[in-house]
Amino acid sequence: MPAWLKDKRTILLTTLVVVWTLCVFDWLGSGMLRFLHVERFAAWIHSAVFGLAAAVTLAIWSKAWVDYKARRVRFFLISSIAFFPWWQFDVFLADLFGWDTVRVSMAQLGTGITYIGGLCWVVWGLEQGARQFRIRRLAGEDTGEYVPATLNPLDPDARYYGRQKKLNQSLSAFCSYSVLFILAFYFMSNVGGCSEVFDLPAGGGEQKPIAQQIKIQKIIRKKFVVNPFSAILFEVPPLDEIKLQLEEITKHAYTVGYGKGQGAGYGGKRNVKIRFIRLEYQGGDWNQGYGPGDDENLLIELPSFMPGHKFEKKTESRTVAQLKRFDRIAAPPMVYMTGQKNITLSTSETRILREYLLEKHGMIFADNGGSRGWHNQFFAMMTKVLPEIRPVPISLDDPIHRIPVPLNFFPYVVPHGGDRPMGWKVDGRWVCYYHPGDIGDAWANGHAGIDAEIWQACYALGANIINYAYNEHAMWREAQREKE
Amino acid sequence: MRTTLLTLIATFVLGLAADTQAASLEEMSLERWAKLREVERYQLNIAEKFYREKDYKVALSEYEKFLTLYESSEGAPYSQLKWSLCLVHLRKLNTAVSDGFQSVIDYWPESPEATAAAYYIGQCYKENGETRKAKKAYQDVLKNHPKHLVAAYSLSDMADLASITKDEAAQVAAWRKLTFDVERTRESAAICQAASRNLAVYCFTNDAFGEGAKALETTYLEGAPVQVSAYARQPIINLTAVAETKAQGEKTADQAAAWIREKVPTGTTEEEKTAARNTWFLIADVHAASRRPTKVVETYSLIQKQFGASDDLFGRLANWLKTQDKYDEARAEFRKYLDKVEGQNQVAYSFRQQRRYDEAAAAYLANVSADSENQARWNGEIAMTHREARKYPLAIAVYTELLKSDVDNTDKWLWEMANTHRDSGNYKEAVAWYKQCNNFPSNYQQMADCQRRLKNYKEAVILYVQIQGGSESLAPWAILQIGYTQEEAESKEQAIQAFQQVCKRFPKSGYASTAHAHLQNKYKISVTLGGAKDE
Repeated sequence: MPAWLKDKRTILLTTLVVVWTLCVFDWLGSGMLRFLHVERFAAWIHSAVFGLAAAVTLAIWSKAWVDYKARRVRFFLISSIAFFPWWQFDVFLADLFGWDTVRVSMAQLGTGITYIGGLCWVVWGLEQGARQFRIRRLAGEDTGEYVPATLNPLDPDARYYGRQKKLNQSLSAFCSYSVLFILAFYFMSNVGGCSEVFDLPAGGGEQKPIAQQIKIQKIIRKKFVVNPFSAILFEVPPLDEIKLQLEEITKHAYTVGYGKGQGAGYGGKRNVKIRFIRLEYQGGDWNQGYGPGDDENLLIELPSFMPGHKFEKKTESRTVAQLKRFDRIAAPPMVYMTGQKNITLSTSETRILREYLLEKHGMIFADNGGSRGWHNQFFAMMTKVLPEIRPVPISLDDPIHRIPVPLNFFPYVVPHGGDRPMGWKVDGRWVCYYHPGDIGDAWANGHAGIDAEIWQACYALGANIINYAYNEHAMWREAQREKE
Repeated sequence: MRTTLLTLIATFVLGLAADTQAASLEEMSLERWAKLREVERYQLNIAEKFYREKDYKVALSEYEKFLTLYESSEGAPYSQLKWSLCLVHLRKLNTAVSDGFQSVIDYWPESPEATAAAYYIGQCYKENGETRKAKKAYQDVLKNHPKHLVAAYSLSDMADLASITKDEAAQVAAWRKLTFDVERTRESAAICQAASRNLAVYCFTNDAFGEGAKALETTYLEGAPVQVSAYARQPIINLTAVAETKAQGEKTADQAAAWIREKVPTGTTEEEKTAARNTWFLIADVHAASRRPTKVVETYSLIQKQFGASDDLFGRLANWLKTQDKYDEARAEFRKYLDKVEGQNQVAYSFRQQRRYDEAAAAYLANVSADSENQARWNGEIAMTHREARKYPLAIAVYTELLKSDVDNTDKWLWEMANTHRDSGNYKEAVAWYKQCNNFPSNYQQMADCQRRLKNYKEAVILYVQIQGGSESLAPWAILQIGYTQEEAESKEQAIQAFQQVCKRFPKSGYASTAHAHLQNKYKISVTLGGAKDE
């Protein structure tokens, strides 16, 4: 074994590279930490590993910088490699602090730098190779030995480069590099790991409408001011006597949820919260009303409709392709989809959505964000995804409209796609709930200026749909466990 | 493709039949009305009144009142059924099934309403997307009440369910039962007829011409050839359009032609001869559908030989020639018309179809002199031809002449004159002519549009305000247009106010949706106002 392999620093560095790579895959969604049962510390572990990797690479780079003039190539090579942990760390921090715009900008900038950096290395490599061939040919001329053109792409005289050899060599190198880069980019953005796991929160509860809260009406008796020297005999009542009168005798005798666990939940794992996942799709504005002040308001309001439950503070998003990565059973119970422009789904994406709805027992909560066109496109999409199911109007007395908050009317902001909710039902379960009137706007700051009664009902409707999806999924997971 | 077509046809036809379905089940017989006491009848009539007026919330409480007061009355099951139907209309299908229809069956199992309730349970399941439960409920109805009207309704709904689940065999089986087995009464006739038509189209598409024709004969005893030709044509067109099914399409066409030929009347009276000729025309239509020109021409020659020349014959042959893009030959047929004026009209129209406007105008002009009684009509056609050719001054000249000569139709010519000016881009003149028209609010809409094009935004807004005040149905549209006009006038704030007004005042209107989206997209305003609820 070479001596440098036995070097402690090499061993430590290799370990760090391996751990860093695993953590990156975990962060991208492979859920590797789940196998070590330390997923609850994921953020801390990621921060530590990524921070350490960034610091170590910075130290190595600083050392190389000192020796820059003497060993330029080495310096650029170290810079190129060190760039990845730094870039990843920046994106990770932006993600951790919820700076979505910064995160997206950093990701795009990093991709651009990676592409240009890689291209520079390709050009350098090509030049080096070509130089070697040229030197060999010149040496051959000196010795009278003929060096023929080869098939090596680094050889600028290779036969297949035609007449304009240098130009064609550069062009083919550029094209090949670009294609490889795109393929690698596609792979990295779609294959984050083996599979992602979506756990349900621990606890239990029943599927019943929320009981009315106790309303206590205080009746304070009249206070009389009586002249103590009056000739009239008067029985003075105690000044502070207050009589409590209960108007409602009901109370929260149960919590909304599913299962027999303690506290509100859906029979899942401890420290897991209810999440709100949005579906990213091609062709339109999937991110309409996404983030703080918009759909995150729903997560803030949900505890008042689903007491006892814990909710994530931030909404998340996944692409259609990423839905495929979810575990067959531990998939998200519901994904939210909105927009007002176009919906473009490839055949494979259509298949993924179908699989998600039918085999992973998922549900789509669609919200028309602003046009009749989106309504038509969404219905066309569903016809492709579930051709054997015909959409029907959802009854006002359906459990999805009654639990946990009984709704006496269907609330909407404006009727972009009619004034009735539509649903796709498979084996007695709603697999898709379509809201035709921009419920997302009612959740956003300002609530689109509509009446409080309506926007509050919109929050309640959101709570009902989430509860329905989680409850159905919890029941199905239990059935699957029993089967296994 | 075939299945989709069948499903579309079935949905359309069954949809037409659906309205007639419910009515008969929702009624109580006169004999049973007679058994009610005066007070009961009074209360039930109140509930019925609200139900008829579609005030279902009030009707619901009135039926409930009847049930509370007269639980043992003859009308109680009926009242319970109608209470449940009120819930269906209020879109509370689950409650309607569990607390309504099921109660009718549980408490009054022998009543006629129990039978209807059993059917309605299936229907509620179907409308709620519970396909499996609906199918089971309908099967129970068929099993328990095979001769009742509800059996026919259930079969019809089952055919629809089968179309949703793409179960072609079940769908065809239901159509067959409805066509051949179910007794046709006043109430069930419509759905049986619809089923027979669907079955016929299915059979014509699937190489079972005989059964298809029989199915149609159950519905159309007298006019069966007409219907066979009508319903066979589309399947034949579809089949012959694809190389793989071309032979089958031609076979079906030959079968249809042979079947129709058997039905050609053989009498010698004028009436019978006309009927025979018309039946031959059906054969020609079937051949035309099968894309075999030789057979079409042969058939028309045969008709001419057998029955002599007629405008009807020339017209049909010419119109078919037009479909073959043989306009000159078609015009030659039109010119053979015995009614020369109508022949010339058809010639002119065919020129217009080919965008040969000068020749069309000349053909109409020939009619102006040939048909002095209808000069205004032909001049109107000439003007319209000039407009199509974008020769607006010529059209205006004709309309000016018509305004003088055809006083009875002044309103019509004023409107056309205004439209011509608008089309020619002469908006000022157009406004002046629209002002003289009497068809509010259409003329105001056009005037406002012209004013916007002239950039007279204030005038346009005034006109839209007048439309808003004068036409309730167009009010949201008018306010939305005010918004767009203010936007064009670069009065941003007023435009925003107008769009918000649409959302606030007409939150249930489709225009509110447009205004809301516009406010968000163009002005990035999230507080659009609006908000509504569907109870």
